[in-house]
Amino acid sequence: MKNIWVIFKREYLSRVKNKTFIIMTFLGPVLMVGFYASTLYIATKGSDDKRIKNVYVSQMIPFINDTLLSHEVANNSNKAKKNGTESGLLNTLLILAPSNKDSAIEHVKRGSVDGWLSIGDYDFSTLDSTNYYTLQTPSMIEMEILNKWIQDRAVQNAYSKLGLRESQIDSLRSQGSIKTKELSKDGNISDSSSDLKSGIGFGLAFLVYLFIFIYGSMVMRSAMEEKTNRIVEIIVSSVNPFHLMMGKILGVAAVGLTQFIAWIVLAIALISGISSFGIGQQKIEPTSMVNVPGAMGNSLSAQQIETIQSTGDAHSLLALLENLPYFQILAIFLLFFIGGYLLYSSFFAAIGSAVNESSDVQQFMLPVSLPLVFGFIIAQSVALKSPHGILAQVFSMFPLTSPVVMVVRAPFGVPISEIILSACILFASFFLMVWVSGRIYRIGILSYGKKPTWKDLWKWIR
Amino acid sequence: MANVIETSSVFKAYGEQIVSKNISIAVAEGSIYGLLGPNGAGKTTLIRMLATITQPDRGEIRFMGEPLREKHSQKMGYMPEERGLYKKMTVADQLLFFAELRGFSKKDAQTAVKKWLHRMDMMEWAKKKVEEISKGMAQKVQFVSCVLHNPQLLILDEPFSGFDPVNADLIKDLILEQRNAGHSIIFSTHRMDNVESLCDRLGIIHNGEKVLDGTVSEIRRSHFKGAFELGYHNPVFFPTHLIQTSQMRETNDGKFTYTIQTNSAFSPQDLLQEGMKAGELIHFSELIPSIHDIFVETVAQAKLESNESVSIPPSKLIAP
Repeated sequence: MKNIWVIFKREYLSRVKNKTFIIMTFLGPVLMVGFYASTLYIATKGSDDKRIKNVYVSQMIPFINDTLLSHEVANNSNKAKKNGTESGLLNTLLILAPSNKDSAIEHVKRGSVDGWLSIGDYDFSTLDSTNYYTLQTPSMIEMEILNKWIQDRAVQNAYSKLGLRESQIDSLRSQGSIKTKELSKDGNISDSSSDLKSGIGFGLAFLVYLFIFIYGSMVMRSAMEEKTNRIVEIIVSSVNPFHLMMGKILGVAAVGLTQFIAWIVLAIALISGISSFGIGQQKIEPTSMVNVPGAMGNSLSAQQIETIQSTGDAHSLLALLENLPYFQILAIFLLFFIGGYLLYSSFFAAIGSAVNESSDVQQFMLPVSLPLVFGFIIAQSVALKSPHGILAQVFSMFPLTSPVVMVVRAPFGVPISEIILSACILFASFFLMVWVSGRIYRIGILSYGKKPTWKDLWKWIR
Repeated sequence: MANVIETSSVFKAYGEQIVSKNISIAVAEGSIYGLLGPNGAGKTTLIRMLATITQPDRGEIRFMGEPLREKHSQKMGYMPEERGLYKKMTVADQLLFFAELRGFSKKDAQTAVKKWLHRMDMMEWAKKKVEEISKGMAQKVQFVSCVLHNPQLLILDEPFSGFDPVNADLIKDLILEQRNAGHSIIFSTHRMDNVESLCDRLGIIHNGEKVLDGTVSEIRRSHFKGAFELGYHNPVFFPTHLIQTSQMRETNDGKFTYTIQTNSAFSPQDLLQEGMKAGELIHFSELIPSIHDIFVETVAQAKLESNESVSIPPSKLIAP
């Protein structure tokens, strides 16, 4: 047992003292925020294609009022001119098509316009005979825009038949969005937000996914380094290979936790720094600034929430954050992060001990990392759409996907019995796997020469 | 004298291949045991079993009279043939790590590391990373890492391979020093010159089997086959009843040396008398075979025997 501690200490200290670790601890959050911000930016700003698309539009039914369409077209082109690319139709300039069908087609062919939207119905009520002629296959977003434009026209058409003007129609739409109120069994009502919960759940699941890969492969590289350095033979002459593997896995886990705690402390310092600076300027005397983070931690009464809500979005977000089941989220995150890491890193340790050089890693890495990637995909789609659905339930039990799927469900509130069952399955499979990996490790670290096959690994386990 | 470590009929096989066929050896306290054998003979397998890295399939290994357990590894120092260090760790940290692995407390480990660095004249290198020091220096660190916990038994697999002559001599001195301090050493080697000057006892293994075992002088004596060397200024003639074979060779300084294999009925005394009668004798010596000769002869013999025993009778060669 003492030797696990000696190995643990070496793994931990040699990594924590490393310059890369220190730099990453400070740079990590910045990179992560930058990564999120840039994906968000790309997702919202859409394509890199800033060119305005010229699209012919025409209605082929001769007797309907042409004036309506020409009014719409003029409206669109005004908006496009005024806002540049930020028109109501995102990069698309509508132009009335020439009445001659053949010349419209000819223009599209020659590329003088990007496409021709030929509406086959007089009041937009059906799109069956509405076609979009184009040279290049349009993107989904382009088609979405055109579809939405026509849908809007249909609605406006219907309203205008009732004698309503455009400005009146806009004011008819309900303002704001639905607010979720969650009831607890003991009758309390609290504000809730599915968006926020999805965001937090997904963010945490992403962290688990990333950490398992980063630190799992760290364990693998460490085992490989010892093997290629030939140092391992000296170590196993005084340490049981199983203890060596455990010390390594736990040491790297401690590195991961250290990094994580450093990030939390940094984030709290940063957030409380920003908020105390902001509020301090407005109301609070500089002397009481220290109290601000503490005050935020207290639970607010319903009345306070009401007042906060009325003061604006930023504050209501704070109130929503207040109502999250923090303890449960954190407990689930830590439990499944550690469990998932332990399970996967015992796989990774076995791989690292079996191979001779990094180019051999691939064949074993793929099948081991697939379930994790799969879990992440499940977390993305199913858990966000129906966090309490059957698919989410099943994959938050399966030990290879539960570390990611259970964490994404955490903010939505998961029954305690499910959490306990899933955690038991996860840790039980860790103990099973660590035994299997230990057997591979025991032989793997001393096997040099030829590249091991799956058959070899099976022989080592038996 | 008590044995530090002894094996009795140790058997080990990897699949079909038998790598240790009932080997029994013993290393006495305060002695040096040399393990010889051609490549692939099973030296490393045996050494790994002694170092508690692998376990025998059958047979027993005893350490200080007790059946060998993992805990005994704390009283051993082991240096494998293929060796290495953590490149990114400093020399001192590395040695501390090994000392602690061998059961030293942190404080004892620090004292031991300081003592050894001082001894090896390496104090100024203590804070350097292994990747920053020379190869020879790293080799010294390597050796220190397996002796600094003061092991009762030092197990060295090909300790001289990879060392330059200066460091090899240093290692040799350190091995002798360990022996003089009452510790025991077992090592494997190809280098016969080291065997004769270092070992108290040696064993030769071939194809997983021990083919020879004994003290160096015993072995050499037992391989003495009654050959003598006689030197003269001029060519001479020996009476044929005395000798089995004789070989004459003229040396660079114009002298004539005869290698005589006597008939067993004759004592050296008889040969000397006859030799003096034959001419002006200027040189007379017993020809005791070197360990190198014995090694080559023993292995060749073993090869011959094993070939005979595995040769397939002609009937088996007929296709079914």
